[in-house]
Amino acid sequence: MTAVADRPHAAAAAPPRSAFGAAFDKGFEILCFSAATFLLTALGGIVVSLAIGGWPAFQAFGFGFFTSAEWDPVQEVYGSAGAVAGTLISAGLALLFALPLSFGIAIFLVELCPPILRRPIGTAVELLAGIPSIVYGMWGLFVFAPWFAKHVQMPIMMSAQPGTLWEKITTGVPNGAGILSASIILAIMILPFIAATMRELLLTIPAQVRESAYGLGSTTFEVVRKVSIPYVRTGAIGAVMLGLGRALGETMAVTFIIGNAHGFPTSVFASGSTIASTIANEFAEATGVLHTSSLIALGLVLFIITFVVLALARLLIGRQANL
Amino acid sequence: MTAVIGAPRLSRRIGEGAFLTFCWLATGIAILALAAILWSLLSQGIGGLDLDIFTKSTPAPGSEGGLLNAILGSLMMCIVAMIGAVFIGVLAGTWLSEFARDSQYGKVIRFLNDVLLSAPSILIGLFIYEILVAPLGGFSGLAGSVALALIAAPVITRTTEDVLRLQPIALREASVALGAPVWSTILTVIWKAAQGGMLTGALLAFARISGETAPLLFTALNNQFLSLDMTKPTANLPVVIFNFALSAYDDWRRLAWAGALLIAATVLTVTIVARILAREPRRS
Amino acid sequence: MNAQLDNPPETAVLELPPEVVKLAIKDLSFFYGQKQALFDVSVSFAANAVTALIGPSGCGKSTLLRVLNRMYSLYPGQRAQGQVLLDGEDMLSPRVDVATLRARVGMVFQKPTPFPMSIFDNVAYGVKLYEKLSKAEMANRVEDSLRRAALWDEVKDKLKESGLSLSGGQQQRLCVARGIAVKPEVLLLDEPASALDPISTARLEETIAELKRDYTIVIVTHNMGQAARLSDHTGFMYLGKLIEFGETEQLFTNPVTTRARDYITGRFG
Repeated sequence: MTAVADRPHAAAAAPPRSAFGAAFDKGFEILCFSAATFLLTALGGIVVSLAIGGWPAFQAFGFGFFTSAEWDPVQEVYGSAGAVAGTLISAGLALLFALPLSFGIAIFLVELCPPILRRPIGTAVELLAGIPSIVYGMWGLFVFAPWFAKHVQMPIMMSAQPGTLWEKITTGVPNGAGILSASIILAIMILPFIAATMRELLLTIPAQVRESAYGLGSTTFEVVRKVSIPYVRTGAIGAVMLGLGRALGETMAVTFIIGNAHGFPTSVFASGSTIASTIANEFAEATGVLHTSSLIALGLVLFIITFVVLALARLLIGRQANL
Repeated sequence: MTAVIGAPRLSRRIGEGAFLTFCWLATGIAILALAAILWSLLSQGIGGLDLDIFTKSTPAPGSEGGLLNAILGSLMMCIVAMIGAVFIGVLAGTWLSEFARDSQYGKVIRFLNDVLLSAPSILIGLFIYEILVAPLGGFSGLAGSVALALIAAPVITRTTEDVLRLQPIALREASVALGAPVWSTILTVIWKAAQGGMLTGALLAFARISGETAPLLFTALNNQFLSLDMTKPTANLPVVIFNFALSAYDDWRRLAWAGALLIAATVLTVTIVARILAREPRRS
Repeated sequence: MNAQLDNPPETAVLELPPEVVKLAIKDLSFFYGQKQALFDVSVSFAANAVTALIGPSGCGKSTLLRVLNRMYSLYPGQRAQGQVLLDGEDMLSPRVDVATLRARVGMVFQKPTPFPMSIFDNVAYGVKLYEKLSKAEMANRVEDSLRRAALWDEVKDKLKESGLSLSGGQQQRLCVARGIAVKPEVLLLDEPASALDPISTARLEETIAELKRDYTIVIVTHNMGQAARLSDHTGFMYLGKLIEFGETEQLFTNPVTTRARDYITGRFG
């Protein structure tokens, strides 16, 4: 073993050692931390500001704010039940339409789509998600509603037997606007979100799992029903809740087409209102303190509903991804 | 299931056929809806899309006019909002990816950011009204920008975290091993490596807020006139479209369709560009 | 001295004369959270020599390397006990600036990690952190580093191209150039050839042999042939302990401990 005694060239020429700006490390981390905390604060701020702003309404109407469907700016009497019902019904119906369709699309994209069409169709579905809400609203009111009135609403209302339940839930003004139309537009809007999430989930299924099912001679339907769906079940429920969360809070499209009538909706063709549409319509023009406060209180109710739904959605999707 | 060997296979085949047909049909419905919406936009909007749109401000009913003030107002608000949102979102996403991978607090933030990401935008409008508009005594373009920024920031946070996480650990260590401080490693190496994905995230966020209407209804409000003063109510395309579309005047409706076409074209173009950018790095 | 006869020692670590030692490790233990990965390792690395660390996967050789430039301190929960003396100064002391330490002790990783910037900027990156050089000086430094890494002739006409455009072997030599551009005193190589083809490996080995003149080199390798070809000293590690350390030729031809002998003769690992 031979030791070279002379000083290594590199060490001899060693530059003064102190990195420029090494002191910023902690500062940079704190900056990033602050930005993240800012987001947390914003979410907290939403809750707190809505609670404070809505307090006068809760104080004035007590628990009746949640149970009464009366919404009368002239008499200054406000209850949230009508808007809450409208929100839940329109979002629920939207989900009913969107769920099978989006699932079909996701399966199509993953299992059936010819490779050459995969990108264009995937992009088309993405674009559907990108169209601004207000455009959906205009299209819904000016294009979809007249068509819907003429080709769906009228025939159904004409054919309904007087006195039956069917007649009851389909009464209304045949102008195409109303709860059902709003739900259909909402369904088109949330469909790409659910489909995209569902597709991501389906792609997490290891190829061997699906292939071995196919290898046993299963048809696509059987593979989907017995392998794919059970495999992604938790996450799929999350994806659906994510869509539901969007439908609950969707504002502009609904405002255009739901008809904006207060109170409990009486039939699927009747005009109604949702929390978001009520706020959008009335907030800028609200004059009385109680009116403004009631609208903000409605906002808090919407926040709580969507928060619960979205939180559940994220938990379910997150767990699936960790599997 | 009763599909035993030798059992009638007809039911299986019918089930399979019905299922496949349904999947094709579902996709067809989605594409039909997209086509119908785009067709309506083009057929109703293209007629109103003349030079006046870009040179004149919103008119009184029955007179000539365009959307200049609304376009400018929207642009200003979106740009200001994006500056804020990129700043917050990139830093927050960096914190989640680089400093808080396994921390409990990081998990909480990540979760709440995901919730904020899909929270109803109208509530963000209400929030900004409560903290900025009401106390400061007036609607303003700046308040609108803040509301939009709050919608865009979670999108950017999420995409930033996602693309930063894709960067190999070795890249970070290699830079640190040269004696680079962590912050300059992140700025010059990690962000650089992830810039394509981060740009995609910013573009998607921009696409999202440029069509947002609800949060502007009671923050920026509207302004009939051309104004560059963002401390005052500021005209913007979405709210103008909303007001004009629901009006009784044909001129206004025509402008609303033209505006809707303009917004949709912008949003869809930006979305497509963002997607193409997102695919780019995989090729090299 | 035939160690194979009776009672071979559990461990056998050669003490180097203090005047040749550049880097010395004293009683080093290392923990990943609760799990201990290194147990009281003491060893010295000679200046201007190549020391190889060998041993089966998970024996702690890479961990040892990552302690030498405190790479572990990036991760909360990982901690080291003991001393790492660079020219007699304890590098594990909290008073030592880690960034400065890492500039003195460079590292090249298993997989090539070119930064997403031009070849020139890749090499200049580390230099800019510590020195303000004129354009000409920087160009000289970059050229000098690339020459030492035996890459200059291949890239001199495309310094502006992305470092990612090079082949795997070239990328790894770019990483070596980047590492020596900051003029470190010690160069740590963590299985630098494991992702390379045989021809690139041969070139990299030539480069390492050249670099010995100027640097103290510690290389972790899976490849015993590589250790035998390149190094002056070799340390054999097993289960977080340094079992045997000595001159490479002696260790490969006549290991003292049973474990080292078994490993080298291929009885395990």
